[in-house]
Amino acid sequence: MSKVIRLGSRIRYPITIVRLLKSPGDKIKKQEPLLEYSFKWMREVTDKFGDNPRQEEQTTTVTWESPTDGELTQWHITEGQRIVADRACLTVKEECSHGIQYGGLCGMCGKDMTVVNWAAETRDTERAPIHMVHDQTCLTVSPSHAQRTERELQRRLLQSRKLSLVVDLDQTIIQACIDPTVGEWQRDPTNPNHESVKEVKSFQLDDGPSDLARRCSYYIKMRPGLEEFLKRISELYEMHVYTMGTRAYAQNVARVVDPQRKLFGNRVISRDENGNMFAKSLGRLFPVSTNMVVIIDDRSDVWPRNRPNLIKVSPYEFFKGIGDINSSFLPKRHDLLTSDAATNGVQNKGRKMEPPPKVDKNKDEALEAIVNMTGGDDSALTKRQVEEQERAFEKQIKDRPLQLLQEKLDREGEEAEKATVQSEDGSESRSSSPAAHRHRVLQDDDTELKYLEQHLIKLHKTYYEEYDSNRASHNAGGNVDFSSVPDVGRILEELKSQVLRGLKIVLSGVLPRGIDIYQSEIGVQIMSFGADLRPRIHNDVTHLVVNASQPGREKLLEARRRPHIKIVSQEWLAACFSRWEAVDETPYLFTARLVDEDEPNNRNKPPAAAAATTGENAAAEDDEENNEGENKAPNGGHNRRGPRLRLVSASGESRDLQPADDDGDEDSSEEEMDEDLLPDALPDGQSSPIDGLKTFNWGSADAELEEFLASGSSDEEEDDDDDDEEEDGDYVQADEDEEEEDSDDNTRRRSRTASPTSGLSASRKRKSRAEDGEDGDGTEAFGDDGGHETPAKKLRRTQSQRTTSLRAQFAAGEQPADQLEGGSGLPTPGGTDDLDGAQQQQRQSGSTRIGEQPDEDDDEMDFDEAALEAEFEAEFAAEFDKAEAEMQAEQAALALREANKPGTEAEKG
Amino acid sequence: MFFLHNLERRVTLHPSYFGRNMHELVTTKLVKDVEGTCAGDYYIIAIMDTFDVSEGRILPGSGLAEFTVGYRAVVWRPFKGEVIDAITQTVNPHGFFAQAGPLRLFVSSQLMPDEIQYDASATPAQFTNNADIVIEHGTHVRVKIIGLRTEVGEMWAIGSINGDFLG
Repeated sequence: MSKVIRLGSRIRYPITIVRLLKSPGDKIKKQEPLLEYSFKWMREVTDKFGDNPRQEEQTTTVTWESPTDGELTQWHITEGQRIVADRACLTVKEECSHGIQYGGLCGMCGKDMTVVNWAAETRDTERAPIHMVHDQTCLTVSPSHAQRTERELQRRLLQSRKLSLVVDLDQTIIQACIDPTVGEWQRDPTNPNHESVKEVKSFQLDDGPSDLARRCSYYIKMRPGLEEFLKRISELYEMHVYTMGTRAYAQNVARVVDPQRKLFGNRVISRDENGNMFAKSLGRLFPVSTNMVVIIDDRSDVWPRNRPNLIKVSPYEFFKGIGDINSSFLPKRHDLLTSDAATNGVQNKGRKMEPPPKVDKNKDEALEAIVNMTGGDDSALTKRQVEEQERAFEKQIKDRPLQLLQEKLDREGEEAEKATVQSEDGSESRSSSPAAHRHRVLQDDDTELKYLEQHLIKLHKTYYEEYDSNRASHNAGGNVDFSSVPDVGRILEELKSQVLRGLKIVLSGVLPRGIDIYQSEIGVQIMSFGADLRPRIHNDVTHLVVNASQPGREKLLEARRRPHIKIVSQEWLAACFSRWEAVDETPYLFTARLVDEDEPNNRNKPPAAAAATTGENAAAEDDEENNEGENKAPNGGHNRRGPRLRLVSASGESRDLQPADDDGDEDSSEEEMDEDLLPDALPDGQSSPIDGLKTFNWGSADAELEEFLASGSSDEEEDDDDDDEEEDGDYVQADEDEEEEDSDDNTRRRSRTASPTSGLSASRKRKSRAEDGEDGDGTEAFGDDGGHETPAKKLRRTQSQRTTSLRAQFAAGEQPADQLEGGSGLPTPGGTDDLDGAQQQQRQSGSTRIGEQPDEDDDEMDFDEAALEAEFEAEFAAEFDKAEAEMQAEQAALALREANKPGTEAEKG
Repeated sequence: MFFLHNLERRVTLHPSYFGRNMHELVTTKLVKDVEGTCAGDYYIIAIMDTFDVSEGRILPGSGLAEFTVGYRAVVWRPFKGEVIDAITQTVNPHGFFAQAGPLRLFVSSQLMPDEIQYDASATPAQFTNNADIVIEHGTHVRVKIIGLRTEVGEMWAIGSINGDFLG
């Protein structure tokens, strides 16, 4: 083990070697002087009074000490040589390479490696930087040692004709949850879910993140067919477990999955040993070569550097809405498919519980984490993550999401029976067990492993075929030949790229706006399967993949014009990915039909729409339209209607679309609203939203509407409306200004004003806003309104907001002319006849509200308009005089202030 | 190697425990605090007896009483070159880990006799010379300590089974 030692960069070059103190063959020790050298340097000298500084050259001779122990074998320098830069000076035969280190000790000679020595430039611990062992972080090895070990492993694998397979746990082969409901269901044979949870195994952990987690049981559900899958695959692959759970968790799960410890042995690595909180890396286990390693995982973003080796499986979701219990240790999914194969109404709800602002926060966190990691100190982060997980745990235990789901399902089931609407078959449309009277939340109908097994077998076969042919060409004989080892990543990519070859795919409504489709998860996947991903519809595009719940309009329209383009749902894509074949599109096919709504003044409607309308559809649409009109108007003037684009799937199920703006990629608030408009129980593509309306009491709705219209409109208001219509340029201007100011704020407010009384959505939004940590909206709004704006301005702005909000809807859809003329629900408060009074009242309302409850400024928009109005009238009567006086004083003060701040006012525009 | 060692420690007692059996409480607390810990170079295995409990002093500010307790304890200090018995915990290609009481040892594959080789195909993985010696999870081994490193509360050791009567 000879090592060449350099002089090092810390010396003042140029130097001259004066004397060599040791000769080849001598034993040398650390810090022993090996040679003497001299160097020249300038010294500042002064006279004895400290004046007249001048430079004087000095020559100093010093010794150079050995940085290491061993036996000197050769000098590369001679006495008297002048050396100008760092270079090799001697060769040493070291006693120990310190190739394996354990806890700062050399594993071979037992020396302490952490001793810092000034003679050596690097610390000895840096000789063995690689963590390679599954269950230990203390043990490190040197690169050469790692390579040797890995060679050994490869040889063994090649001899037994196996490959390595790294298996993720959560949502890949199992799903864990800690909801105590599962345990109750297990003990209760009468529960409809008893059958499902019978197979669920449980264990308790000693080292849970908190007392709470320690006391609870973990429930582990294996993916169906897992046992056979692992058994068969273990003949072809050597399997490793790689999870982001804790060590104890990983081992317990491994015990559940593999009781005899035959499959995984002790090849289990968890986040305790991972060394990275956000990413998994094959380099942790296979530092030298990943040529023979395949990964199966449900998340591809955690394998940033090992994409080629990854087979992504669709996440296993048995306990609905629970997800991955260790997900707080993973980076957040940023491009969620809003409707994938397993999506149902319930899950949608579950996802909505994670509001967008939170994601932002997490992004910040991730950023911070990166900073932290580069700083080398991620203990704070770890703590935070643990806390986050703890919170999630607590929530799960307290909220019992499964129980909620089951209760919800039961309710739905009962309703369905009452209404005898066949299509309302619970949110779990796949529940094909009529025997169970109550519907089950937990369905165990996952077939992913079957396909996965086929893929792995195929991959293994292809790999060894290539290896054999390589070997034959190399004439390696019976020996193992490392040069002919093919790269499994490359083979995997080749296999995958055959799958969708030649297809040209456009996505619509699948990804949020602003995400680069080529960088997104689904985009990368599409391309990895050999298909061509296109941003726009072209003539050569073959498939348009739409998100059935919110497809993009423009792309759909365009695709309609080109009949050869198959419009398929995301499920088709998911099926292709999981089966590795271009699945027959027929069950996933949609035909987009544009439905006319007989509105001549529809601006957005393309001319093709009318032509596409079939009589039958129009009739249905008529009916529906009435319903919707009556339904929505009382709900706070929800007059948003557009040419309805209807997706009709092959099985005749139809889906009604809200006119989404251009790409289905609306911003979050609008998106949320759209989802809110759909009944929650709407199963995926199972029924249209109007089914729920069949049971609606239209009489009462009518009455309500009439009452609303009568009270909510006045001449003044109507004028205002018309003004808005005509002078919309003006208002749009105002709107735009505001958008500049804070577009997010604005859209959110707009969405609020648009649905003031739809209590559910409003409250939900309010909740989501409450969760919004920064709460920029509230403070901003307060600052605007309370600060330097006259109430009149405020009123005008509120009006403009309101009107523009409706206007936006007019632009998006079309307002039935008769309703417009009827002065239909512009839900602006104020119901007096004379203009002056109305103004006054509104001013007063504005001012009082500002004065009295500035904090609730956000919420005021959500008030029930009728109630608001009544309140105003009462207030008006009682406080008119007082308020007027107040008003004037306040106005004067504000005017004064405004005069002082013309700049701010100009800013407000 | 085990030693009887005279040690001293300051024990604080909360005011709510002040009373007749205070000394008993102090002793209990001492045992709870100290037994089974690693104090730098050695592990405190067990406390034999306490021979001197000083008078309590009230700590200003907190009101806790502080006792200085002299006690005799059995301590275990592993030495370099010492031969100890241990139980194998995990086996990996680089070597195996063995547990000797509180101390965790690592025995690397270089520090084994040449004929003992790693066998990954066995389940569980093991080191074996294909004859009588099999080192796997749970095997008792006799190990010579060749390297020790201590930090407060932690100790690492490198062992060897390369030698006569080891393994």
